[in-house]
Amino acid sequence: MNQDLIERYLYAVTKRMPRKQREDVSQELRGLIDDMLAERCGGLTPTEKDVRVVLTELGTPQELSEKYDENETRCLIGQPYYGTYVFVMKIVMICTAVGLTLSSAILQIMEPQVWYAAVGQWLSMLWQGLLSAFAIVTALFAFFYQKGIRIREPFSFDDLPPVPKKNQEIPKWECIVGIGISVVFTTVFLAAPQIFCVILRGSRWIPIFDAAVIHSTWYIILLFAACGISRELVKLMEGRYNKTVMLAVAAADVISAVLSFWWLAGFPLVNPEFTVEISALFGEEEVFITGIFSHFQYFFLGILLFALTLDTVDTLVKTLRD
Amino acid sequence: MNIEQTVSGLILELRRGTLILLVLSQLRQPMYGYSLVKKLNDHGIPMDANTLYPLMRRLEGQGLLSSQWDTGEAKPRKYYRITPDGLMVLEKTKEYWKTFSTNVDELLGEKHESGSD
Repeated sequence: MNQDLIERYLYAVTKRMPRKQREDVSQELRGLIDDMLAERCGGLTPTEKDVRVVLTELGTPQELSEKYDENETRCLIGQPYYGTYVFVMKIVMICTAVGLTLSSAILQIMEPQVWYAAVGQWLSMLWQGLLSAFAIVTALFAFFYQKGIRIREPFSFDDLPPVPKKNQEIPKWECIVGIGISVVFTTVFLAAPQIFCVILRGSRWIPIFDAAVIHSTWYIILLFAACGISRELVKLMEGRYNKTVMLAVAAADVISAVLSFWWLAGFPLVNPEFTVEISALFGEEEVFITGIFSHFQYFFLGILLFALTLDTVDTLVKTLRD
Repeated sequence: MNIEQTVSGLILELRRGTLILLVLSQLRQPMYGYSLVKKLNDHGIPMDANTLYPLMRRLEGQGLLSSQWDTGEAKPRKYYRITPDGLMVLEKTKEYWKTFSTNVDELLGEKHESGSD
């Protein structure tokens, strides 16, 4: 009976330890408990109460197992990232909620439903969206934090960067706006791609994108968003243009460019009806306009690649300035 | 401010490093955990077994202690002793401790004399 209680206690203490360590610690603690009982009872046989007193003295199983596991870096996201994590999480949560509410409103305007169905859809979109946003931000920070621990270099005073001049600083609002735009754009694009549409004669509108195809490529859109957010996060953490920011921005832009290419050239994203309607609308003679719209994906890809290149060059210039 | 809580927090911090020094110093001779708890207690240094056992394991992980199971007696016991690395760490820390504690005593004493005494 007493031995059973002791064994249950030891099991609770050691159950989360690595297998190799478990038996050794159990054996050692078993000896300790035995010694403590012998000291308490002298030659008498320990009662269950004695066992309970001794185990209480050792502490709860959780307390004791925590003492065996005092590893300070064992956390998902620690300093100096934690503060920024909370800050960014707030921004992303707010922007996701705003973006999804906007999307719900758009959907309601374009495809009206009964109010309670609309509210239900809005709530379920909010739930899914906020959960995904939470997961993405947490995963990004966990990655940066765990990487950061490993690549932390030995400190030298000579390596301390000079205080940035006013024009080298990255204003916080710039990063916040960047994250906000990424999040709102992603949520709207995922939840209501119908927002991108052309109105033809009166109230008839025709969506540019094929919503079903857009939905089926959700992972590319999320990766694209994660790239955009990471780029802003590095800027936010560094607070100034330097080599790290430059490399991070360049890497994020290259990955984004590859993703854009994969997405726009690899999937039939444009609504087929849209191309037909546009040709019909403008007729054969408007070669330029129909040309743009019938190759809309490549046109869009061109704009994206241009924007990404501009971003890289802009960062490069700001970093190398003076 | 909770005086009691602040004091116990400070004492905990003061004890933390000192206890490691004491554990290393006592393990020049091989000892098992509970015998060390009792020895420290006998010398007016109360230390809970639930602090000492995990501590010895950590010090072993750092290479400052080594251990060996003795299964010859009625009860199998794990004996710990200091390693050559541990000995070097002990000597250096002890030296620091001597100067440090003398200086601390001196400063604390000065404070005491200029006070209500």
